[in-house]
Amino acid sequence: MSQVSKATGDIISGATRLSAKNLRLVLGDGDQTVTALNDVSLSIAAGEFVAVVGPSGSGKSSLLAVCGGLRSPTSGSVLIGGVDLTSLPERARTQLRSTKIGFVFQQSNLVSSLSAIDQLLLMVHVAGRSPTVADRDRARALLAGVGLDARRDRRPGQLSGGENQRVGIARALMNAPEILLVDEPTSMLDHNRGAEIVDLLARQTKEHSVGTLMVTHDPTMLGVASRVLQMDDGKFRAT
Amino acid sequence: MFLALKDLAFAKGRFALMATVITLVAALIVILSGMVSGLVDQNISGLKAVRATHITFELDRVPSYTNSFVDREMWTAFEKAPGVAAATPLGNTIFNARVLQKETAITLTLWGVVPGTFMEPDVAEGAAFNSDPRGVIVSQDLVEKGVAIGDVIKLDRVLTELKVIGTAASRNLGHVPIVYAPMDLWQEATYGPPGGPAPGDELPKALRDYASVIALQLKPDADMAAINKLDEETGTTTLSRIDSYHAAPAYQEEVTSITAIKFFMIFVSALVVGAFFAVWTIQRTQEIGLVKALGATTSWLIRDALSQALILMLGSMAAGIAIGLSLGAWIATTRASFILVPEDVTRNMIFLLIAGMIGAALSIRRIGKVDPIIALGAER
Repeated sequence: MSQVSKATGDIISGATRLSAKNLRLVLGDGDQTVTALNDVSLSIAAGEFVAVVGPSGSGKSSLLAVCGGLRSPTSGSVLIGGVDLTSLPERARTQLRSTKIGFVFQQSNLVSSLSAIDQLLLMVHVAGRSPTVADRDRARALLAGVGLDARRDRRPGQLSGGENQRVGIARALMNAPEILLVDEPTSMLDHNRGAEIVDLLARQTKEHSVGTLMVTHDPTMLGVASRVLQMDDGKFRAT
Repeated sequence: MFLALKDLAFAKGRFALMATVITLVAALIVILSGMVSGLVDQNISGLKAVRATHITFELDRVPSYTNSFVDREMWTAFEKAPGVAAATPLGNTIFNARVLQKETAITLTLWGVVPGTFMEPDVAEGAAFNSDPRGVIVSQDLVEKGVAIGDVIKLDRVLTELKVIGTAASRNLGHVPIVYAPMDLWQEATYGPPGGPAPGDELPKALRDYASVIALQLKPDADMAAINKLDEETGTTTLSRIDSYHAAPAYQEEVTSITAIKFFMIFVSALVVGAFFAVWTIQRTQEIGLVKALGATTSWLIRDALSQALILMLGSMAAGIAIGLSLGAWIATTRASFILVPEDVTRNMIFLLIAGMIGAALSIRRIGKVDPIIALGAER
């Protein structure tokens, strides 16, 4: 399967993980409306690491929210693993988030009462199952993959910012999602640690064959991206 | 329940505060239940010991042992009525009195009972009613105040003298210890002139025709409709002995006020639990948004939070019951009476649990309003 990215013209190949078509998102009502997304289309293949940069208010967070099913677009569709998110009722969309989408948030968006391994096992509970031995093994392997197996019993308060972000990445991969949606992963980290995290994301994207969409305002973090999309006024701009 | 348990363990301090409140309320409810049962039991211990199945009062809006006034015509009518195995008048008057030679001032409930009837008390020590027309049997409570067999009690104002010939177990009405007297002596004290009749005079015959209530022993197959009809004809009200407790002084007030205290405590617990979970849920808003963004449904989160409330309630209530029972056991060793009625405690605990869970549920509802989009940094 191959297709042409509207914004960049790149030809991408491999299984399509995310396919967003003609997304429009109008926020507010009456006279006070803002067009956050203006006819945005985007496709991400397995193993592809797409970075979206842009100033605040450019619509990049809205793109993440719509692709993650946290916000319904005014029009357009979002296909993840062949399922159109926008056609699903809220409950089904929520459940789909737990199995098909891995979110990586800004630092400290972990549950403060849970140890690193429990952050990952929470994903199994959220998906409606009780963790099995296989789940525990997978959680440990994922933590080892981000270099934290030895610190798996520490809670967020006992880990550094960079370590917490690594736990967040491992958590996002726990339920073997189709895509990773990454929100400003380096905003709370210094440059070196930020770069490490982005490298890790790029490696994990290939290793787990997910499609990754990362939103960032930091132009120094783009070196490892397969593609970089510049966003302005709710549209992609050719870079 | 995964998150619920982890949060309980993590935020021990905050939950401990909440648990302490519920523990104390549960303990207090157990103690109050025990003490009120003890108090109420002490109030009407005299009535509990009476071998009557029913008590007949003068027709009044609210039957009262203190105010009731019956005459011979009434108790004769009941004696003869079908279904009545035995009927006998009972006199009930409260007196202040002094124990001669001891200068002890006491308050007593003087009961006039007809010797030889089922109303005669069981004697613990000393003699039963005998040929001595002034011989009385006193409640154990008066013995504890220093009254002994052989003492003479002189009633204030009417100056009637009573000779203590025997004692009974602790018997009270309205918390005032009972002194059992032969009916003639009671009528003399209650209706006669101060100091008794002038030397050589007899008391007027008429005062032998009055008492306070009628004690009945109904046959098991007695027709209550017929008894009620007789009530209408004679101008009386017949209550079962247990229902007649409410006619005892202060009984209704005691039961009502303690019940009110218990229900207010349960109500306050619901508010406290509700307030706690309201604050807790608001504190967790960010986390709730996060977990929703990760794919948890609202019902998953609500089930999780309710299980947390349930664990907290059950744990605290168990601790409270344990504390209440041990304190109750200690109270029972002192002079205060403490009687634990298991059904009563169980019922109150179920009310407490339901109230707490309703309070929690109302607060936890707001989980449904949290938008998972707050998990994204730009949306915070």
